Amino acid sequence: MTPLLSVKDLTVRFGATVAVDDVSFDLERGAALGIVGESGSGKSVTCRAVMRLLPPSAQISGSASFEGRDLLQMPETELNRVRGKRIAMIFQNPSSHLDPLMRIGDQVAQTLHKHTDLKGRAIRDEVLRLLDVVRIPDSERWAQAFPHQLSGGMKQRAMIAGALACQPDLLLADEPTTALDATVQKSVLDLLAQLRREQNLTMIFVSHDLGAVARVCDDLLVMRWSRLVESGPVSRVIDAPRHDYTRKLLASHPDRLKPRAFAPVGQGAPLVEARGIQIRYGSRMLSDWIAGREGGFMAVKQVDFAVRQGETLGIVGESGSGKSTLARSLVGLVKPYRGAIFFDGQPADPAGPGRIAYLREMQLIYQHPSEALSPRMTVQAAIAEPLRRHRLCPRDAVQGRVAELMSQVDLDPDLITRFPGQLSGGQCQRVAIARALAFDPRVLIADEVTSALDVTLQAQVIDLLLRLQKERGLTMIFISHDLAVIRRLCSSVIVMREGRIVEAGPTAKVFDTPAEAYTRALIDAIPHLKGDVA
Amino acid sequence: MKLSPMFVTGVALVVLWCVIALVAPKLATHDPYAIDFAAILQPPGAEHWFGTDNVGRDTYSRVIFGARLALYIGLLGVIAPMLIGMTVGLVAGYFGGWIDVVAMRLVDITVPFPFFVLVLSIVAVLGPGIENYFIALALVGWVGYARLARAEALVLRRAEFVLAARTMGFSSGYILLRHVLPNSLSSIVVYLMTDVTLVILFGAALGFLGMGVSPPAAEWGVMIAEGQTYISSAWWISFFPGLAMVLIGVGFALIGDGLARMLRIER
Amino acid sequence: MKTFRFIALRLAQAIPVLLGVSLITFVLMAATPGDPIRLLVGDRASPETIAMIRDRYGLDDPILFQYFTYLKNLMVGDIGVSLRYRVPVSQLIAQHYPVTLFLVLYTIVLTLPPVIVLAVWSAKRQNGMADQIIRMMGVLGLAVPVFWLALILTRLFGVKLGWFPVSGFGDTMPGHLLHLFLPALSTMIWVVPILVRTLRSALLIEMNRDYALTGMSKGLGARQVFRTHVFPNSILPTLNLFAVIVAYLLGGSVIVETVYAVPGMGKLMIDSILARDYFVVQGATLVFALTTLLVMLAVDLLSALIDPRVTL
Repeated sequence: MTPLLSVKDLTVRFGATVAVDDVSFDLERGAALGIVGESGSGKSVTCRAVMRLLPPSAQISGSASFEGRDLLQMPETELNRVRGKRIAMIFQNPSSHLDPLMRIGDQVAQTLHKHTDLKGRAIRDEVLRLLDVVRIPDSERWAQAFPHQLSGGMKQRAMIAGALACQPDLLLADEPTTALDATVQKSVLDLLAQLRREQNLTMIFVSHDLGAVARVCDDLLVMRWSRLVESGPVSRVIDAPRHDYTRKLLASHPDRLKPRAFAPVGQGAPLVEARGIQIRYGSRMLSDWIAGREGGFMAVKQVDFAVRQGETLGIVGESGSGKSTLARSLVGLVKPYRGAIFFDGQPADPAGPGRIAYLREMQLIYQHPSEALSPRMTVQAAIAEPLRRHRLCPRDAVQGRVAELMSQVDLDPDLITRFPGQLSGGQCQRVAIARALAFDPRVLIADEVTSALDVTLQAQVIDLLLRLQKERGLTMIFISHDLAVIRRLCSSVIVMREGRIVEAGPTAKVFDTPAEAYTRALIDAIPHLKGDVA
Repeated sequence: MKLSPMFVTGVALVVLWCVIALVAPKLATHDPYAIDFAAILQPPGAEHWFGTDNVGRDTYSRVIFGARLALYIGLLGVIAPMLIGMTVGLVAGYFGGWIDVVAMRLVDITVPFPFFVLVLSIVAVLGPGIENYFIALALVGWVGYARLARAEALVLRRAEFVLAARTMGFSSGYILLRHVLPNSLSSIVVYLMTDVTLVILFGAALGFLGMGVSPPAAEWGVMIAEGQTYISSAWWISFFPGLAMVLIGVGFALIGDGLARMLRIER
Repeated sequence: MKTFRFIALRLAQAIPVLLGVSLITFVLMAATPGDPIRLLVGDRASPETIAMIRDRYGLDDPILFQYFTYLKNLMVGDIGVSLRYRVPVSQLIAQHYPVTLFLVLYTIVLTLPPVIVLAVWSAKRQNGMADQIIRMMGVLGLAVPVFWLALILTRLFGVKLGWFPVSGFGDTMPGHLLHLFLPALSTMIWVVPILVRTLRSALLIEMNRDYALTGMSKGLGARQVFRTHVFPNSILPTLNLFAVIVAYLLGGSVIVETVYAVPGMGKLMIDSILARDYFVVQGATLVFALTTLLVMLAVDLLSALIDPRVTL
């Protein structure tokens, strides 16, 4: 039997850069193929090249035959009869891939109008049926809604409904779950797996997340630097990787990181303590006052926690849980509406007059490495800024101290005159860490520091933080949406949801015997390399 | 950064005009104010390159001397609006709160007035003259800069490197000067170039309407007005000063356009 | 019902702006050197007459009361009396306003077709010939003085070719259109590049949006994606600029009406400034601001109708 899709010697160039280099693969009808790689590996470009959805500047060569017809040579009009009808595609960010000015139902109906003879009433019924298939409740109502009224998960479902409309033979899914929260991500993955079974859908699933791919696919392609490095059945690749890079990728997966042994933390007084923290955005309006409401939006409602010297506390939660807001209140970026923060047993006011002394002990590292550095400051200037400004060392020693800090975070000394735009994400993150270390702080707060980085870089940054903690006896507060990372890093953990602490305790206890249903749902949603490995 | 040819052309034009303004007495063939009733309304020729006006003044020399006034108006007129607007906008955007509310309400109530109409009304109240034009610009022109600077500051205030500067315990003044200002400067400079063109243009428009520089002066707007009556017979009186304005305006506009492209600023 | 509520709320929000606008026009008048009443009634008026008029405009009250008197007079449409014509300013404005409104609408009607054609053309062929031409037009449009251009057009089309009348407003509808063609053309050259640039960059942004890609992946084809997704989405930013453009056009009318002797608000304003007819200047300024404000409201309403995300 000839494969449904057969890609041969696919090469994509953007000017002088080669984005996809000589990639070939076959896809049988009913199969599900995962393409895994880090950012810039060419996995998305491969997927889009098959549909000829790349900008005109892309030069594509090779062939992609779909039922024996080469998609890359097909005339545009004929291709448009394949796109949407025979091959459908879903994308990473559902918010930006839906037209904000068009009702959901109309967007789902577009392919029906284009590719079928259905009219009026029949189209409407079919749209409602599709919305039911992707499990959007109350489909009548949501078909009338505009994209901004839907949650992220609903938008992705609507996009899937639009893709399924003409019962395509092949579905290309380009990072369909990356922009979603863990629990939503899981439900979308489950939906895709179910659709595969029920509708005998052939699928290509592109993702940076091995765990997500393992959940849906049978076969796997691993890409790096625009080349295919390994291919084979998912279980074989995970159990017996043949290529070094695949091994490295697997080793970087949170499932494979060595769980660390935690030094027993003393029972002494907590170093950082938060009592009854409430944080409100927006202010109380006259109407709130009349209605007796608090007004504004409570991002954090009543949170207490304590961290001891040398301990690592993890704070996990999905987007909107208030975890980052809480972290920011610890360094004075937001002022708690109620509650107090204690440092070393003393009441502390991170935004008040004594803040400089306090901030020397407590530093925060930000999420987006390239944004955390001023684009107009060199590495040297960025690290030296706190040293000079706060006179942390004698003026003539600044140069030496900067070099010392750079070596501590394994930064090449040659980078000292570079601007952030000339550095990679991982290098920027190291500069930011070095800058925080310039204060010689006792507490380091890491706010989603790994989420903007690729898996292998993630592992490196985590290693660096752990080493620094050991060397300097740092106390750390680690904020992340990624439970797998938290599990391997933190001695105790707080689970947050909608501004409240759902569950707290030693990491092992919370993860092994969660008391709350929500915590359990979060843990279940962690994508593992294998279904059976916890 | 690759310099675009348009940007280079713009810089060359502006430099050329600055040179012309500096050595105007050397370039002029006649005294720009010398009245010569023996040579009125002469068409362009060997003696008078751009012809003469209704009282026999040499148009070429007047255009050359006009460059001084145009540059003086354009370069001086933008200083006060820029400084006021930038300060108000950055402070309002960065700090927010009541400062922002007050500043933005001030901006809101000036926005409905067509810019030129408001400048005209102020000049009408204060009386004609460049100084009053400058005052009017300072009163009204800052709004554009303030809106731009505020928009930049609003974005930068949430940028992680500014947050990082705050959590490093730096003072607000320092952060504004060292982190917010440098990163908002490029779009302000692009706007500045457009503004210079407009200030020159509106200054000349005032002169044309009889509310700017007063008549005997060799000012382009005034000259165009003087030629208005003779437009069907002696077109050159109005034509050349206007052409000069186009060439100086194009210079600044090209710099702005080129900068915007090179710095990838959306306008 | 929702629309009605939206309009009501937007109007309510406009009240502080209206007050601010009235404050500016009031300050303009209060800052005028000399006694406007003396100017108004002339030197030979009796002290009684002067006292009477001073009382009517509350000029002997403290400045704050004067402002309230001004506001009160505004409410009933009394914006003072013209010193030159000895008629209420409102009457003068009622005569001149339609002409300017006609000119502005005419200019807009003439402007839109070339703007849309040029913007779409250049967005579809990025960095091509069209793009270069439009860039140059933008630079020129900014630098060319409207009053000079108007004079040159007068000479070219009016005097040399004799195609169009070069002054006045005409008496009939075709006459209006003919008389105002050159004034409209002069302003157009200024406005077209600005609008083209905005629409073009909006189109380019929308063309590269992810939902355009989704449309392509559904097999809709480039044309249909452009028509159903890209174009509607790029209207919004351009629409917001429209209020600004109307303000520009009103400001420009001051100049072109003077050059072409069109009896509109702009010419009224300039003549009044030169004649030191302060109440008229103040009234005209106010009317200009109110017009822009109204257009801004209309644009807001229109955006809200197009864009489901806009809520109050």
